[in-house]
Amino acid sequence: MIRQFFESDLYHNFKNTPVAFFSFIVFLIITLMAIFANIITPHTPFEPSTLNLMNGFTPPLQTNEFTGDVFLMGTDDQGRDLFSTILYGLRISLFVGLMAVLLSMTLGVALGLIAGFVGGWIDTIIMRFADIQITFPSILVAMLIYGVAKGLMPADMRYEMSITVLIISIGLSEWVPFARTVRGSTLVEREKEYITSARMLGLTNLKIMLRHVLPNILSSVLVIATITFALAIITEATLSFLGVGVPTTKPSLGTLIRIGQDFLFSGEWWILLFPAFTLLMLALSINLFGDWLRDMLNPKLK
Amino acid sequence: MLVVRKQNWCNMSFLTASRLSRNFDLSEPWILRKIKGQPKKLLKAVDNASFLVERGQTYALVGESGSGKSTIAMMVAGLLKPSSGTVTINGDNFFEPSQNKIKRIAMRKSVQMIFQSPYASLNPRWRVGDILKEPIVTFNLIEDENDQNRHACELLEQVGLFSKDMSKFPHEFSGGQRQRICIARALACKPEIIICDEPTSALDVSVQAQVLNLLKDLQREFSLTYLFISHDLAVVSTMANKIGVLKQGILVEEATPYKLFSYPEHDYTKMLLSAAPDISKPY
Amino acid sequence: MAIEAPKPLLEVRNLDVTLKKRDTFFKVLDDLSFHVYPGEILGLVGESGAGKSMTGSAILGLIEKPLFISKGEIIFNGQRIENNAISVRGSLISMVFQDPLISLNPLRRIGDQLVETIRTHISLDKKQAITSAKNLLEEVGIDKNRFHDYPHTFSGGMRQRVVIALALAPRPSLIIADEPTTALDVSVQAQILALLKRLCKERGTSIILITHDMGVIAETADRVAVLYSGSLAEIGATFEVLSNPMHPYTQGLIAATPRIDPETLNKKLYQIPGKMPNLSEIPDGCPFHKRCLQTTPQCYQVKPPLLYERASCWLLENKTGAI
Repeated sequence: MIRQFFESDLYHNFKNTPVAFFSFIVFLIITLMAIFANIITPHTPFEPSTLNLMNGFTPPLQTNEFTGDVFLMGTDDQGRDLFSTILYGLRISLFVGLMAVLLSMTLGVALGLIAGFVGGWIDTIIMRFADIQITFPSILVAMLIYGVAKGLMPADMRYEMSITVLIISIGLSEWVPFARTVRGSTLVEREKEYITSARMLGLTNLKIMLRHVLPNILSSVLVIATITFALAIITEATLSFLGVGVPTTKPSLGTLIRIGQDFLFSGEWWILLFPAFTLLMLALSINLFGDWLRDMLNPKLK
Repeated sequence: MLVVRKQNWCNMSFLTASRLSRNFDLSEPWILRKIKGQPKKLLKAVDNASFLVERGQTYALVGESGSGKSTIAMMVAGLLKPSSGTVTINGDNFFEPSQNKIKRIAMRKSVQMIFQSPYASLNPRWRVGDILKEPIVTFNLIEDENDQNRHACELLEQVGLFSKDMSKFPHEFSGGQRQRICIARALACKPEIIICDEPTSALDVSVQAQVLNLLKDLQREFSLTYLFISHDLAVVSTMANKIGVLKQGILVEEATPYKLFSYPEHDYTKMLLSAAPDISKPY
Repeated sequence: MAIEAPKPLLEVRNLDVTLKKRDTFFKVLDDLSFHVYPGEILGLVGESGAGKSMTGSAILGLIEKPLFISKGEIIFNGQRIENNAISVRGSLISMVFQDPLISLNPLRRIGDQLVETIRTHISLDKKQAITSAKNLLEEVGIDKNRFHDYPHTFSGGMRQRVVIALALAPRPSLIIADEPTTALDVSVQAQILALLKRLCKERGTSIILITHDMGVIAETADRVAVLYSGSLAEIGATFEVLSNPMHPYTQGLIAATPRIDPETLNKKLYQIPGKMPNLSEIPDGCPFHKRCLQTTPQCYQVKPPLLYERASCWLLENKTGAI
């Protein structure tokens, strides 16, 4: 099967399209660096004991006048090596993004399948819900869910559950595109004769949806998943930027950007630039790859 | 007396459609309708159609688009409930309220269908082997997996394909081959009736000949009963023991092929015969 | 023998169309040659994959990457036409497709579409164009008052009539009709075919009728060309080819076609063994030899050219005397 993939038209096109190829490579590099952050970086930025306040505000690739340390991307206000912090922050960004996308995908695909296949008033209810939710910007929805969840939880749990709540809130705000697309594809597949054959065997709706319809709509889901992944990462960054996301002791890229913003005009440009640039590269590579994937998987263009 | 006679009549025929009707509601939403004071707008897709099919015979339903032939097929298949009238197979009715579950499953097993489009008839993501095994597994016909595989291979060979085709996907086959796979799938659970809904309309002439001949051979071998739906009188003439002509939901004429072609009675039948492009007509 | 042959309206000479797929080349049309004379209906018949639609596209200059014309030429009215020939397409040669919804813009009234087509090719002012359009509608059997209607208000057959009117608008010398009646009911099909025959006679417009249905050919075409695997198998007057087919493929095709005949009821149809090879499997020699029951040793080696202007088959060489 692996060999089948490498011989396929998809892979052949992938090799020959520079945009797809390079964006995938960039994404791969960023992800691998984030995964192996503890091996690559000189020190862990989240351990307060390793920090030296005197290291603060060191520009990139310059020797700190007090301690003599050199930092690849400079340090932030608390003396954290920016390079390490970015890599660790990437871990959080990628983890939250991935989990959120999985949540919204599962929810959206399930609701879309049911709405499309069963139809009737269930379809109407689900789609009206979707319509209502989509009128609000997803950031707002995420903040709302986040705020409500945080408010409902006891104070001592708030800190630990931060990331989980973040994942749930972003996940719940992004299910609509999945549901709509899946519903559309389901409506098309439902009329095809192989579904009628399955009905003639007396299979239940659930079995037909999972065994027959689902495998045929996955390609459209994949495209939305890549785009939502990038969106989830940016949403998380935005929430952290606004101070609503991850706690400041475990900064993600968004937090770093917020910190950097404060110091931009006092001259310490690197604290803003490097995290922002990393975020840009990450989101851009995912989006470009998703665009290519969408064009490749679009049956109408064949 | 009348009751006894009617019973005998029913028992003689294997598949009976009795005063079958199906309406589709095309009216506007309830509120608008009430405001405008309009009655319900119903489309009579099938209007009081009755026909009998003997076991082992082929009954053909011929008509143009909108004649209701596909709707009748759906009702015989047990997928669409008639608005009035009944379909009975060997005395059993799909939509009988007192039907118990076992009976209904047995009925599903005894009626299978093959369709017009070879491209949409097979799940593109399933391998042929799994497609063929699905009916076997669903009806619990064979327990052992190796036996299931062997049965599926036999089915493929019966329709002129090969056991190595088990692991392939539908898109690796041509239209005619796909239609054969559909036929193999229909045979998998050993049905008694196969509804053929325009099975060769999307196929080339030479492939059509192969598929029609195959259907004939299988009918003889397995004593199958066919309900053959088509718009093409020429195709139907090679298959049918009896032909029913449908016009806008009404069965206007029913006769053996010889009689229908030689002495058509209804004007619509005559029109169909004269309009059909026929290779033997001189130009 | 002394009668001078009429000059052909369209000449296709040794046409090759090639497909480039991932660094391999496949021949879609192979050395295709035929003529179309003024005022006749030529039927182009073949099964799917034979190349009949491709031929129509090639004549109209609609071949695009990864397909290209690798050999041969198309000569219309004595002049060679190139691919993408805008001057010829639409004005001198127009096309009717199988699905009328492809040709008709659902958002515009049919009258407007007709007027636009007319004015693109013939310089008339708006009023004259409208009159001309209404006359066209009448000619194809549509009520003039439906000028302002949208395509979706017409039935399938009526839409196809509108499409034919559109095709007639620029007063072409040749219409290419690609399966124009395949999606229509039998009764409507008969009407459309009758319409095409009438238009051909009254206006002298030639028609290339592409179809897979031998019955349609029998009813409508003056001459017929049988295509197999991108090559011409047989060509000739319809009556000749149908009553005395020379190429084994044509013989098989005719024998395999079901007919409404009380004498041949319930008989098994003749079936040609095997199936048409796809692009990567076309064998050397005659493309049909693997399915043919009358092969000679030469059939395996050398591809037969068109012999006696009738059929591409080595069997013809062995016949003595005139056909």
